Amino acid sequence: MSMSNKRKRKDFVLQAITYAASLIGVFILSLIIIFIFKNGVGLINWDLVTNDYHAQYYNGGINEIEIFSKTVKPSELSESDFYSNKWGLALTDDINREGRAIVVVSYLANDSPLHDMYDKNDLENNTFALEIGNIVSSIKFENKESALSVYGAEKMINALENETEFREIVFSSLGGGIRGSLITTLYTIFFTLIFALPTGVCSALYLTEFAKNNQFTRIIRGMIDMLTGVPSIIFGLMGLAVFVPLTIRYTPASGANILSGSLTLAVILLPIIIRSTEESLKIVPDEYRFASLALGANKTQTTFRVVLPSALPGILTATLLAIGRVIGESAALIFAIGTAVKDEISIFGKSTTLAVHIWSLMTDEPANIELASTISIIILIIVLVLNLLVKLLSKAYLRNA
Amino acid sequence: MSSKNEWLTSLKQPLNLKKKKGLIDFVIQLIFLILTIISASFIVIIIVFIGKEGIKPFITDNGGIGNVDLIRFLTGNEWLKGTAFKSNLYSVGFAIINTLYISLLALLIAMPIGVLTALFIAKIASKKLSAIMRTIIELLAAVPSIVYGLFGSGLILVFVYNLAKIFGVQSQGGNSVLATILVLAMMILPTITALSEVAIRSVGKEIENGSLALGATKTQTNFKIVLTSAKSGIFSAAILGIGRALGEATAVSLVAGNAQSGPSLDFFKTTSTLTSIMLQGLKETVGLDYDIRFSVGLVLMAVILFSNLILNYAKKMVGNVDVK
Repeated sequence: MSMSNKRKRKDFVLQAITYAASLIGVFILSLIIIFIFKNGVGLINWDLVTNDYHAQYYNGGINEIEIFSKTVKPSELSESDFYSNKWGLALTDDINREGRAIVVVSYLANDSPLHDMYDKNDLENNTFALEIGNIVSSIKFENKESALSVYGAEKMINALENETEFREIVFSSLGGGIRGSLITTLYTIFFTLIFALPTGVCSALYLTEFAKNNQFTRIIRGMIDMLTGVPSIIFGLMGLAVFVPLTIRYTPASGANILSGSLTLAVILLPIIIRSTEESLKIVPDEYRFASLALGANKTQTTFRVVLPSALPGILTATLLAIGRVIGESAALIFAIGTAVKDEISIFGKSTTLAVHIWSLMTDEPANIELASTISIIILIIVLVLNLLVKLLSKAYLRNA
Repeated sequence: MSSKNEWLTSLKQPLNLKKKKGLIDFVIQLIFLILTIISASFIVIIIVFIGKEGIKPFITDNGGIGNVDLIRFLTGNEWLKGTAFKSNLYSVGFAIINTLYISLLALLIAMPIGVLTALFIAKIASKKLSAIMRTIIELLAAVPSIVYGLFGSGLILVFVYNLAKIFGVQSQGGNSVLATILVLAMMILPTITALSEVAIRSVGKEIENGSLALGATKTQTNFKIVLTSAKSGIFSAAILGIGRALGEATAVSLVAGNAQSGPSLDFFKTTSTLTSIMLQGLKETVGLDYDIRFSVGLVLMAVILFSNLILNYAKKMVGNVDVK
């Protein structure tokens, strides 16, 4: 009796250990999600997605002013908005996406004389305007020292309120946005799929529908399988050695670019797409093929009209997995697409996908963990949703098959 | 539309039918074959092109700097003696040791956790719980390595920094061997778990029932019989896990600290692996400093290949041992 109790206790401990081990995985995933959300959620807003990464700086000058603003401080402004009656301008202290203190325009009255400012660097610029959300870095006066943003919004607005003219206001757009990297990511997904899907699907069709079971086929299969074991940084080197020179020669590109990056990713994805398509082709019952052939269709018609449509869920799965991989890939793209964050995106130019954008932020001095976390939230949500979709899709497919 | 036309023409020329069908099939098959050969050829392209660039530093004089000494490159313990672009004294010997050391220790941490989790999912948990756990492991596997890197440099580094303080060691902001091991262990955990689960599941029911019939408890059977029977598959999981650890780049380079010499065996010292060295100083686009990256890539490929061969040999040895 005591023996069996001992056994029971031992069994309980062993079982408890497996529970504990599983909890570690749960713990890691929760920790990652909590960490990223805690650091990154503060910066999430629509502007982040639409803003440029590099701030645009402007120097606004003004002519002699006859009529000043008559607007009193609007009630919707708070204590922390410092307002100048004369100029109809409210400034407030804030922190930018790099974590530095800044002074932001929080209100501009309709009758503010600041609407008459002109661009000192480009007199022809008609779209020039100080807008709510702009960052004011300094106000320079003719006969007294400049008001700088480092001393805060209150000092700045007081300095302005005491004057009837100024030499220039230096201000900038917010910057730190991810519009460029987002566009690059979309381009990269698009081109990668264009290169990888037809090649991968046709290869899978060849291997399952046409290839004879001989030495040649086995070698081909082995070579494709070998690709799965290659680390992505090695694919990056290949992109650098093969696709970058290739795109430089045949396109206007002068260095690593979106096309070379997409081609590199396409190679990484080939084995995944081939494998996934093959799996779904194998499920298509041979009776379908025989029936089609018996009805007089040739092999090509059978393949395209009968086999391929039945394999569509598998191809869709492969596509979703591929998109997830493109969004998450960093090591290969650091070489094959470059690490320079850009706002003007050309498929022949350097730029970064969101994942490489994180890499750039993390290797900057100092690292910008907040913005990197915000981008990670976006990437993580997309990748996790894609994976769950794949799971649901294959479940639904298996139920139907 | 075209099929209708085809069909009409074939009606008009019934005798040609067979030939034409054959021709289309032949052309399509040829196109498919060419695309398949292209897909398969990339492994050759990778080896040839990285090989070509990677061998250059050893056989040319690199624009007057002189060729890199292969033996020194493979055995030395300092990445670069002298100034970049002016010196040919490159070495990665220490990084090879670092890479193997870190990957092995990461595997040592991830292996027990992964295998036990796999056992939990496959045998112990209820159906619902095991489905949830499997999804969690799949999500962990889907987290991109750059996110692991960010997590590592934001949280693991702080943890290691404070841990080092407790031990009275001043670590470089937490960038260290230990941080790298921890991040890598997290990254290979889902790979090992998923593959071990498959291995555990494929253990024959009769073996299990035999054990139960002999009076062993369910838990005893799981630990003594199922795990030993699945060991070959679990070993394969380890091989894939270490392959991933050896080749992982971005996450590692964000927590390793990019030591310029080594090897670093001390847990709180900064380190650098073959991959983190490749990601250093990316601004150069010409000359030896650029080409040498490909040489490091070649070394990495060789390291992965050799460790795979050794582990596969070991797997065979393990597989041949009888279950006692």
